[in-house]
Amino acid sequence: MARISPTRGQKLLFLIYILIGICILYFDITSNSFQSIKNGFKSFKISSSYFLNQITVEQFKNLKERSKSKKTLLEENKNLKNALDLSYLNNYLITKENKFYKNHDMVKYPSQDKTQQSPFKIAQLRSFNPNTFNCCDRHRMYLEIIGNNKNNFNEFMVFNSSGIIGQIIHSQKYYEVMLLTDISHYIPLKSISNDFFCNARGSGRSEIVICTFNPLVDTKEIEVGQIFYSSGLGGIYPKDIEIGKVNNVVQIDSTTVNLEIKLSANPLGSDLYGVMRY
Amino acid sequence: MRYIKIIFYLILINIVDQKIANITYDYFLIFPLTFLVYSFYVYKSDSITSSSEAFLFGLFVDIISESFLGLNAIFFCLIAYFINIYSNTFKIFSYLQICLFFGLSSSAYVGFSQMIINIWNFSYITLLVSSVFNIIFCIFIAISSAYLPYFVKRRL
Repeated sequence: MARISPTRGQKLLFLIYILIGICILYFDITSNSFQSIKNGFKSFKISSSYFLNQITVEQFKNLKERSKSKKTLLEENKNLKNALDLSYLNNYLITKENKFYKNHDMVKYPSQDKTQQSPFKIAQLRSFNPNTFNCCDRHRMYLEIIGNNKNNFNEFMVFNSSGIIGQIIHSQKYYEVMLLTDISHYIPLKSISNDFFCNARGSGRSEIVICTFNPLVDTKEIEVGQIFYSSGLGGIYPKDIEIGKVNNVVQIDSTTVNLEIKLSANPLGSDLYGVMRY
Repeated sequence: MRYIKIIFYLILINIVDQKIANITYDYFLIFPLTFLVYSFYVYKSDSITSSSEAFLFGLFVDIISESFLGLNAIFFCLIAYFINIYSNTFKIFSYLQICLFFGLSSSAYVGFSQMIINIWNFSYITLLVSSVFNIIFCIFIAISSAYLPYFVKRRL
């Protein structure tokens, strides 16, 4: 069937619309007059694609996730947590405030090639009694060092993402760690200005070590909140690592003052630790 | 209902158009699928496509393709105008001539749109390659339609 050709009026309309189109195009190129329309459409496009994605693709994904067994999810969760803890341990070593960051040579690597290996071994918590930790003098934990070939890790420092927590004292199947708060543990400390040194003994209380000194010998005034660092004199812990802040100053008698130092590191913070020798 | 259907198809074809453009642009080739499909729609429709319809569909394509407003509106109006004028003349044309018409009109579309949206990097190679490809594509469509099953041909 033959199509009717456009009349003169229709042709004129075409011409008018083409002229309108040219005007719109000109204004759009020379100014941003239609930007709001374009932005409105873009936001509509993004939100509608998001909505469509939510009701279609995401539903299938959720279905797939739900079909996974609980065991797999728990395993995945555990792996993710381990990876996160490991990144926290690495962060602790590369923190700018940390001595390790400033002096890399203080770390003793197991072999000569430093580039190929991590500066520390990763250890997993195997046994820890929190009740004993909170009530009693003996503060120990047992670790298993991952990827260990039965090496001797005695006197290695143990740390977590918040700081130093203790040292390894026995290497058996699992490695026994004496925490800083253990009553038989001593750590040499110093003030930031290097004018006060003392040996901090574990208090048997969680997070507290006690520094005892004679005020007649050490005339330096110690204030609450003052930060103490490891002095490195014991040979186990590196120098200049923050250990804790003075929590309380107790005058026992005229020749004895006890400084209660609250530790920065909490051994209950995670179940993944770093083991290192400096 | 007819307009909603056309709008739906335009959106769909425009998405395909953009996907194809991502691939073909590296080969100096611009393939204006939306424009060609709209031209084909105007060519196959039994009645005159009104200027307002062509203008509004063009404007809609401008919005969804995020190009300058008015660009497709002008070209859609122009192609609708020419097809309407020569709708009866096309009947005495051969398939090759019609293919040449659509191929060259799409080349013109590519050329003018490049002059507007890509003037600093206007490429004659792109224009030439696109022209050849678009003409070959139209011929291919014309030939393939002759070999399609009857019920598809009737719809085309």
